[in-house]
Amino acid sequence: MRKHKSLPRATTSVIFLILMFLGVGLINTSFLKLSNILLSLNSGVVYTVVAMGIAFVIITGEIDVSVGATVGMAAAVCGSLVRDGQGTLGVLLALLVGISVGLFNGFGVTYLRIPSIIMTLGTNGIVRGMIYVYTEGKWVENLPVEFKSLSQKQFFGTFTWFYLLTLIGMVLIFLFMNKSRIGRYFKAVGDNPNGATLLGIPVKETKLTAFVLSGLFAGIGGIMYASRVGFITPIAGMGYEMKVIAACVLGGISLTGGVGSMVGATVGAAIMASLSRVLVFLGLPSDYDNTITGILLIIIVVFDSVFQKRSAERMRKQRLAAKIVHSESASEVSSHA
Amino acid sequence: MSEKRSNTLLSVRSITKSFHTNSVLKGIDLDLQESDVLALIGGNGAGKSTLMKIIMGIYQQDAGEISISGELVNMNKPSIALAHGIYLVPQEPMLFPNMSVEENIMMGFREKPKNLQKQLTQLMKQLDWVIDLSRTAGSLSIAEQQLVEILRGLLRNAKILILDEPTSSLTFNEVESLFKIVKDLKKKGIGIIYITHRLTEVFTIANRVAIMRDGLITLSGPVEDFDYDMLVKGLLPEGDDSENTSVSQETKPLEYASLKPVFEVKKLCGNGFHDVSLSVYPGEILGLAGVVGAGRTELATTIFGKDEVLSGTVLIGNKDITGFSTRDVMDEGVNYVPEDRFLHGIFGMLDVAANTTSSRMRNLSKFFLQPKAEQEITEEYIKQFRTKVTGQDQVMSSLSGGNQQKVVIARALATEPKVLILDEPTRGIDAGARTDVYSIIHQLKARGIAILLISSDFEEIIELSDRALSMYSGRINHEFSKHEITQDNLMAAAFGVQPGRVANA
Repeated sequence: MRKHKSLPRATTSVIFLILMFLGVGLINTSFLKLSNILLSLNSGVVYTVVAMGIAFVIITGEIDVSVGATVGMAAAVCGSLVRDGQGTLGVLLALLVGISVGLFNGFGVTYLRIPSIIMTLGTNGIVRGMIYVYTEGKWVENLPVEFKSLSQKQFFGTFTWFYLLTLIGMVLIFLFMNKSRIGRYFKAVGDNPNGATLLGIPVKETKLTAFVLSGLFAGIGGIMYASRVGFITPIAGMGYEMKVIAACVLGGISLTGGVGSMVGATVGAAIMASLSRVLVFLGLPSDYDNTITGILLIIIVVFDSVFQKRSAERMRKQRLAAKIVHSESASEVSSHA
Repeated sequence: MSEKRSNTLLSVRSITKSFHTNSVLKGIDLDLQESDVLALIGGNGAGKSTLMKIIMGIYQQDAGEISISGELVNMNKPSIALAHGIYLVPQEPMLFPNMSVEENIMMGFREKPKNLQKQLTQLMKQLDWVIDLSRTAGSLSIAEQQLVEILRGLLRNAKILILDEPTSSLTFNEVESLFKIVKDLKKKGIGIIYITHRLTEVFTIANRVAIMRDGLITLSGPVEDFDYDMLVKGLLPEGDDSENTSVSQETKPLEYASLKPVFEVKKLCGNGFHDVSLSVYPGEILGLAGVVGAGRTELATTIFGKDEVLSGTVLIGNKDITGFSTRDVMDEGVNYVPEDRFLHGIFGMLDVAANTTSSRMRNLSKFFLQPKAEQEITEEYIKQFRTKVTGQDQVMSSLSGGNQQKVVIARALATEPKVLILDEPTRGIDAGARTDVYSIIHQLKARGIAILLISSDFEEIIELSDRALSMYSGRINHEFSKHEITQDNLMAAAFGVQPGRVANA
């Protein structure tokens, strides 16, 4: 029996990604050009970063729907300060925004025991509102060219530096989660919180950390967003929560917690980013983007739960079948009766 | 060695604990010495689990103190308890189902994985245990999960090991090897608190015993000072000692010649059992003995329409109900009281009335429920079964185990079945409630209901059954008439050994 762990699922996601490119390539061959593929991956950098952050939260069995607003707020704070010539302060404050939102969420969920979907939904509203207050409803524009070009710098003409850094980050986090003592706590807490408590694992603190990381990564995503897009509207980052949750689920991170890896989140984010470009290449209006993401999310979740039920059922049957004594030995016992 | 024995590992003094107004522990004193195996027995709701959770640092006591090896410890977190060498193996193993066995065991250590792996292999060799470390924990049987839990505790060099009903889901061989382990640990000087409901185990494994009742330790001392009856008396509520556990309601043997079976299973095969044939007569209690995992529960749930029938037939009267859905099987007059009432049996959040009548919701309602009818039925069963409730509106999960079981049986009866399958009806409930459940079963028999009684407790089978079958590894391997039902015969058959003398099958 195969072990159904996160990696095989991440592999199927990679296959899905390749098939998607090939499928669209059949209709429009220019989609298969290297430049387009790289563009697709590079354009997904913000999704990737935010997805890796939210992955911590989902793996511990919670959810964070405030990441979209956090991306927007961090982008607005960073952008406005960069515009005013205070780049370093802008970046630091954007990170602080992310960490603060994460602390707020984490505190509400762990210590006040508010269900995470409600807590973060509320936070999403609060933060989104604060963007309007902060920007007075105006766009943050006229960012300096040097800042905008940060996101365009490429590494040997392939990946952008942003994407490369993200990939390095992914590898580091992957090692942290799988090799370090504390890194393993996240999965443990999501897998069985009561069992984790009995082993002396600090469940609340682990969840709080997950939320802080989710906020921090959304903050980093916001900085990248400001640099990539070059202007920040009050609705910047809106809908990102759905994209990144879909990315995580697509990458094999279970919404019930305890299962998944950063590799999965990254591949899932690449798929999500490519999806928007697929529409362009198929000549469909981009209005369908969100609808398709939503449909995809639901399909995967349904598929996953059916698949999990089936495999659990199959395991159960095998376990039971293994128990039945072979007919010869059984008759040996009962034939004397 | 004799002086070493007097080293006190754990000392608990005047611990009290209340939840809201409900006082659960009323001043507990408990000592555990090196190499002690202290059997802690007590009915459900006596406060055993609460006490263990306090020792483990999961709950905080309201008053009282805990010292480890003479040193006063403020046990406010499980990590502190672990650091002081206490490890609790919970009744329901608390593994991480999505992780491998190895990851499960290694979780939470500061040491290097390589060292741990070495220690683990050594430990397993020492104990002579074979378990595939790469298996996903979710695919392990309960027994295997328990072994993993014990390994976790041992790898932590626990000095105080708490085993909470460790044998309740183990097979015979596994119990044997567990006892061997306990003896090994004892030799090493480890102190063990052994919580159990099986009184015979007390004499097999423990050297000291403590009886808990109503939040107090009522009796304790060396095992030599006790016998079986004293333990039973200690468990029963005060002033109730006239009523013993054994309900000696001798019933006349059934006149099989004049009866026709109301329920028949012919050559039934399913997941977990093979080629099972049996028949039950009206007013008969047919015992189905065997160890946990022999396939009895799977047989019952398959008959009840919860799992697929691979081949064979199930008849009620002359009607073939093979492969019917649960609802249809119930309509035909078969009902099932499941083994694990927490998992399958109760609606914990609902009140007693709703639980009692949930099985016949459809008969009770046109579209809206009829509260009056609901109340009448519930009241009838509360009285009949002597269920201890504050009222019909008491929330189910706040009842004790025995009373929950009564409500679950009442619910099955509310459908007025002709055939009732009881799966481990007294597992995990205290002696007093057990007596009540037995007399309920006798009442049902007198009403002419055919009862299939699944039990791992052979005394229960002997006590109640008119006839008994034993199941071994998915097959029925013996049938016993009333006078053949003895502890020895059942034990032998249940463990796949040829009973000394077996009459016609």
